[in-house]
Amino acid sequence: MDEAKVGAFPARARADFMHEVANTPRGRGVLLCIQCGRCTNSCPVARTTDEYNPRKLVETVILGLRKEVLLGNLPRYCLSCFTCLDRCPQGGDIGEVMFAIRNLAAKEGNVPEGIIVQAKNLFETGRVVTPTRMALIQRERYGLSKDISIGIDEAQKILKKTSFVELISKKV
Amino acid sequence: MKYAFFIGCLIPARELGYEISVRKIMPLFGVELVDMENVNCCAPFSIQSLDYASWLSLAARNLCIAEEMGLDVLTLCNDCYESLLMTNTLLKENKELREKVNSVLATVDKEFKGKIKVKHFIDVLYDDVGVENVKNAVKTPFHGLRVGVQPGCHLTKPKRLHFGERIGIKALDELVKATGVKSVDFERKEACCGGPMRGINDAVALQVAKQKLDGLKNAGVDCIVTVCPFCYLELDLGQLEIKRHLNVEYNIPVVHFAELLKIAMGMPLEDWEIRSHKIPLAKVLEKMKEAK
Repeated sequence: MDEAKVGAFPARARADFMHEVANTPRGRGVLLCIQCGRCTNSCPVARTTDEYNPRKLVETVILGLRKEVLLGNLPRYCLSCFTCLDRCPQGGDIGEVMFAIRNLAAKEGNVPEGIIVQAKNLFETGRVVTPTRMALIQRERYGLSKDISIGIDEAQKILKKTSFVELISKKV
Repeated sequence: MKYAFFIGCLIPARELGYEISVRKIMPLFGVELVDMENVNCCAPFSIQSLDYASWLSLAARNLCIAEEMGLDVLTLCNDCYESLLMTNTLLKENKELREKVNSVLATVDKEFKGKIKVKHFIDVLYDDVGVENVKNAVKTPFHGLRVGVQPGCHLTKPKRLHFGERIGIKALDELVKATGVKSVDFERKEACCGGPMRGINDAVALQVAKQKLDGLKNAGVDCIVTVCPFCYLELDLGQLEIKRHLNVEYNIPVVHFAELLKIAMGMPLEDWEIRSHKIPLAKVLEKMKEAK
């Protein structure tokens, strides 16, 4: 990984990283944040653990701490429950910004193992959760169709076109 | 009424009771479910966390299949609902984005046109069937049964996808009440179950679920009613894990709303359906019998 690119440079890098997030799909809201902390007050994870605080995470983005944000685990703590989307007084969509940050982290090769498994499942079988053989036997026994129709070929064509495969084969 | 039935991944693999109940009750309300063929994963939040274009294109491909069928989509899973509804809304509103996604879809000869709607099973019951009709179909109302409703996040959030209103929770509450039960308010009712945290930090995931279960326990519910397969897993299986790791025992049975409605409509659960629940249903089924 390019250390110079990932590292934080005060002043200059500051605005750069904030705009990098803002220019990533779903990341626009970072520009609207006034650091009021309403997202944190609404967040079911923030009330459970001190490790995670969405306001502070956005603050680290605004401060330009690219490496800390993208190589860390914290953006994964967002449950995407979207409570903060409904409550942000700025319409800043912090829960959406987390998707932008996670997308950037994925480009740096920072993806949790569990998500890699789901992504591989998706590419190979067309779904993230695949039925076990037992489940298929049960389906037949209980009068449900055993054949759950899946368009793997077309899904794979799409995922090749969007470079999804290259993305999930990256590692930190 | 006819709908393109998007069953998703988790339900046909692990929650057959939900699927079979929906397949049994919906035709009785005159709702025909036409299985969508050749669909792929809806692209839930884990996939959305990887790549924006892959998410939109996969979800849009499913929507194209429904457009070809000329039918609105009916989903059972809150995650499928969120993914498909958000994609449908974004692509209908944003021409530039639609063109980009269509250029990806062109590789599989599909084009998103924006002709259909995406609905949750609860939306269809509430809007198309109506609470009155559901009430009339109930043969054995369970008076005296106290249930805690777990609506799940994406039935109503974010609000802007639902025209700024939170009809979903009200709709679900009314539908649940149509079976004669009392829908009890409890602390953290609208909060997330913690499921999406699985695999990231399991201890926090269990704590989030625990807060919800504490609220339910304090409200003194006989059972929990869910509509989302992930909430179901987190609250049913999660109780066993909380018992193992945190040594707290709740023993609150969890049923899918579709199962509750099916029983109330005079179609008891079969043995295998009862056994598929991790927290035994015996206690609540007994109460249902007494209510008759």
